[in-house]
Amino acid sequence: MAHDAREGDEDAFAEIVRRYSPRVFRFASRFFRQRSLVEEAAQEVFLKAFTQLGSYEGRGSMEGWLTRITTNTCLNILRSAKRRPELTVSDLTEDESTWLDSKLADVATERHQSQERSLVAADLAGRVLETMSPEDQLVLTMIDGEDAPVKEVASVTGWSESKVKVQAFRARRKMRAAVEKLLGVKKSQDQNLKSAR
Amino acid sequence: MRDEHITHMLENMPLASLGESELAVIRTHAGVCPDCRRAYEAARVSALLLRERAAETFEPSPFFQTRVTATLRERQASTETSALRRLWQATGALVSSMAVTVAALALLTFINPAHQPQAGPGQAVSTVNSYSAEEVIFDRNNVPDDEMSYGQVLTTLYDEDTGR
Repeated sequence: MAHDAREGDEDAFAEIVRRYSPRVFRFASRFFRQRSLVEEAAQEVFLKAFTQLGSYEGRGSMEGWLTRITTNTCLNILRSAKRRPELTVSDLTEDESTWLDSKLADVATERHQSQERSLVAADLAGRVLETMSPEDQLVLTMIDGEDAPVKEVASVTGWSESKVKVQAFRARRKMRAAVEKLLGVKKSQDQNLKSAR
Repeated sequence: MRDEHITHMLENMPLASLGESELAVIRTHAGVCPDCRRAYEAARVSALLLRERAAETFEPSPFFQTRVTATLRERQASTETSALRRLWQATGALVSSMAVTVAALALLTFINPAHQPQAGPGQAVSTVNSYSAEEVIFDRNNVPDDEMSYGQVLTTLYDEDTGR
């Protein structure tokens, strides 16, 4: 199939897109919160793949090869985009604020969340992640979010396993600090409100 | 003591990967250390946020494949067009540079000699006759062998006349 597509067979290329687009979409979803951005990134991945088919020698899996292209494409898009400044409590939506409140009150029980609340949490996570580097976002989403082994992250990024571990360590620290700050401000605001009443 | 704090345990690996014994150590310490308690709370909230973030994925729309192939065709067409345009531009540049060269040559050929200063008679002689004065004096007696003498010329002329 790759050979035919390389020779310019459009049907073969369309079959590659059909077969591997769900995987590419899932992977690109780690980086972007908006569907339009995910779709744009996925399209860029396949167009790049078409021009680079000559470099695919068929030794590894097509899926792995496309995943590496997806990672590089998404990281490049994120690198070229302007990074958000630090997220503060005043930037939070009402839903996000409520979600954080509930977590503060109920952090020990971790009760099952409704779908709506999950979306709020995913959105808040995305906003916190946007303040971090694309590399930090990648390792956190893969390792902490999806339980991906360090080896897999090393394989898709081309980094050494020790680099992945160091990157994850630092990213975790940054994420924790960002959330701690939000929670701290929330707590003090809540206390102020209570004392004002 | 810094060693007793548990923040390094929270950062070394994902919270979900920690074993029960490690979690027990963290909980015990977080109970007595306000800083580590805050860190632990934040780590738990972070882990929850990342789980929710990772669970949110998008599936390709049914038209995605068509869109990609259409964009590919568009890009290929624009690449071909731009290649042709580049070729045309290159040809245009070549033709115009040739025209300029021809015009410059024409100028040099027809217009330039008219502007050259008139050479004097002495100069003209020296240009036509490239021999120097010394060469003329020293080579006067050095007559080439194949050159005919005056007498030979006369003999040839008269012999021809008597032959007729």
